[in-house]
Amino acid sequence: VNDSVLAFTLAAAVAAGTPLALAALGELVTERAGILNLGVEGMMLLGAVTTFLVASATGSTALAMLAGAAAGAALALAHAMLSISLRANQIVSGLALVIFGTGLSTYLGRPVEGVPLPPGARLGRWSLPWLQDLPFVGRVLFQQDLVVYATWVLTALIALYLFRTRPGLSLRAVGESPATADAMGLRVNAIRYVHTVAGGVLCGVAGAYLILARVPAWSQAATTNGIGFIAIALVVFASWRPWRALVGAYIFGLALRANFALQAAGVTAIPAEFLAMAPYLLTILVLIALSASDLRHRAGAPDALGLAYVREER
Amino acid sequence: VSAPTRDRPPAAPAAGGAARRPRRLALEPRQEVSRAVLVAVPVLAVLLALTVSALFLRLTGHDPLTVYRVMVRASFASRFGIADTLVSATPLILTGLAALVSFRVKLWNIGAEGQLYLGAVAAAGVALLVGERLPTSVNVVLMIVAGALGGMIWIAIPALARAWLRTNEIITTLLLNSVALLFINWLIFGSRSIWRDPDSGQFPQGHRIPAAAEFPRFGTTRVHLGLLVALLAALVIWFVLTRTRFGFRMRVLGDSEDAARYAGVPVRGMVLAVLLLSGALAGIAGAAEVGGLSRRLDPASLAIGLGYAGIIVAALARLNPGGVVLVAVLLGGVRNAGTALQSLPDRVPMEVAVMLEGAILLFALGSEVLVRYRIRWPWERPPDDDGGEAT
Repeated sequence: VNDSVLAFTLAAAVAAGTPLALAALGELVTERAGILNLGVEGMMLLGAVTTFLVASATGSTALAMLAGAAAGAALALAHAMLSISLRANQIVSGLALVIFGTGLSTYLGRPVEGVPLPPGARLGRWSLPWLQDLPFVGRVLFQQDLVVYATWVLTALIALYLFRTRPGLSLRAVGESPATADAMGLRVNAIRYVHTVAGGVLCGVAGAYLILARVPAWSQAATTNGIGFIAIALVVFASWRPWRALVGAYIFGLALRANFALQAAGVTAIPAEFLAMAPYLLTILVLIALSASDLRHRAGAPDALGLAYVREER
Repeated sequence: VSAPTRDRPPAAPAAGGAARRPRRLALEPRQEVSRAVLVAVPVLAVLLALTVSALFLRLTGHDPLTVYRVMVRASFASRFGIADTLVSATPLILTGLAALVSFRVKLWNIGAEGQLYLGAVAAAGVALLVGERLPTSVNVVLMIVAGALGGMIWIAIPALARAWLRTNEIITTLLLNSVALLFINWLIFGSRSIWRDPDSGQFPQGHRIPAAAEFPRFGTTRVHLGLLVALLAALVIWFVLTRTRFGFRMRVLGDSEDAARYAGVPVRGMVLAVLLLSGALAGIAGAAEVGGLSRRLDPASLAIGLGYAGIIVAALARLNPGGVVLVAVLLGGVRNAGTALQSLPDRVPMEVAVMLEGAILLFALGSEVLVRYRIRWPWERPPDDDGGEAT
């Protein structure tokens, strides 16, 4: 394969994997607290449309991204209230988030469907000095935009937080055994609230990034396109570890982009739809293989994932 | 480690801990639920959802009362409105039942969406292959069986993996939805399959099924045989759940897998059977949509979230087959009204319906807590305030 075509494809994979990585990191933090939020797609969509509306109104990229993060957080807060305080079924609540988020963002976005973003608000490329001149690697990794680099920093911070700090330890305790954490004097529900909302912030930012850097205009059908659901699978795929989630996101990004690359290269033996199925089927195979080898438990699934904690009923 | 926290004594299990706990809002489980609560809670949820949606409507410059009036008129106030509501409710009853049977045993089939597509593919395939040469009655039966099989095939791998390897079925069934959507898109847009209309060049669409394979409709309405099938399915599921050994085993398994194992319930077999049943119901929904409504494999009219909505229907119905029928008709009405809104002079987007559906679900879920628990206000004296633990 031509060297520059490969570099181009890999760079595109990194860019395509970035929103996935952000959403997966958000979901990972939430799930580490024992809360399963299937509403990633809804939070991303609402984040995206809010970002678009604010960017169109103010022209400010930073404000728009903040608004997207806030929208994601608001939906996540609804999920937290339902599943933590009101003890609703987390699976159903998450899906309710998808439906409500999709409906609301389509409704809000209807008047601007297909309208392009004001050019000033787009997130531009921001190549890193020195590093961008590295042979091959420079073109793949260091000629990207700010959010791509911020994602690396964020991954490092989340890994550090989870495994090297006391609040991170508390978080993991709450996800593994809320009753024990409670007996230790940790405020289980407060910790769950904070990390569910933090996860929502990241999902909102993922949606914001899609609008600011990835897609040319707001469109309900083409903005997230199921990325939210891949992100949920990615967390399992990464066995709840941040760095693996980042690398996994880039692999999925490659699978998403390989489609276009192969078509551009004139490979038509495999239909585009089947190439697009690959990431989903791959994840299912990995999941089955993991459970067949009984690695899942040791691989890091929080023990109390998806279960409400009620002190009186433990 | 035991840093004191703001709202609880440092050593919780110590004697007298419960008595010293500050009074605050708390929930206590209800022993029995009165009929008034059962009715009042869902009504309250719908009212709250309408209020929140009204806020968004007002913010975007529409009059909420007009919008709601149009929705009620479109879906529940005329003969044809009610008929169309029932048409929308038909697949929701079936996908609601699909979610119901799996959720009853704490298996989470989130893949009714994909199973419905595959049921539609199988039913349309049978109709296109043999429909012309057979009478309608045989066709209908064949299509329903094919639909059920299609749904079962689509859930087979997650079901087998769940039964034997304990692979998380939430993620596998969820991911297969996306695969199923790509698959039907390929059948219509990406290939020269028998499902694609050979005469549609520029804008590919599904091949119309032969007239003999169309589900009969009632009178001049669009209500079709699928509604009867759905109601019959609800009745059968109710019977199975309450009157058969299979239903009893489902209940035991739903309460506790360990208990079921000790009681001699074949757990693997039950897990497999329940998930296959769930897939079959979703598949039948797809068959009914093809046979009764779109009359071709049409990705655009199939992929409207019927499977996901079924999960909502089942949850709002508290996993009760009769409730599923009622909730499906209500949600069917909301969905059906979406189209009527566009005829309003200020062109209210039809997505109001989806937004409302989501809002109703969120509030219904939240208010469900009032059915299971009663609120103990901070000024109320808890019944066991200084008993039990304090000794």
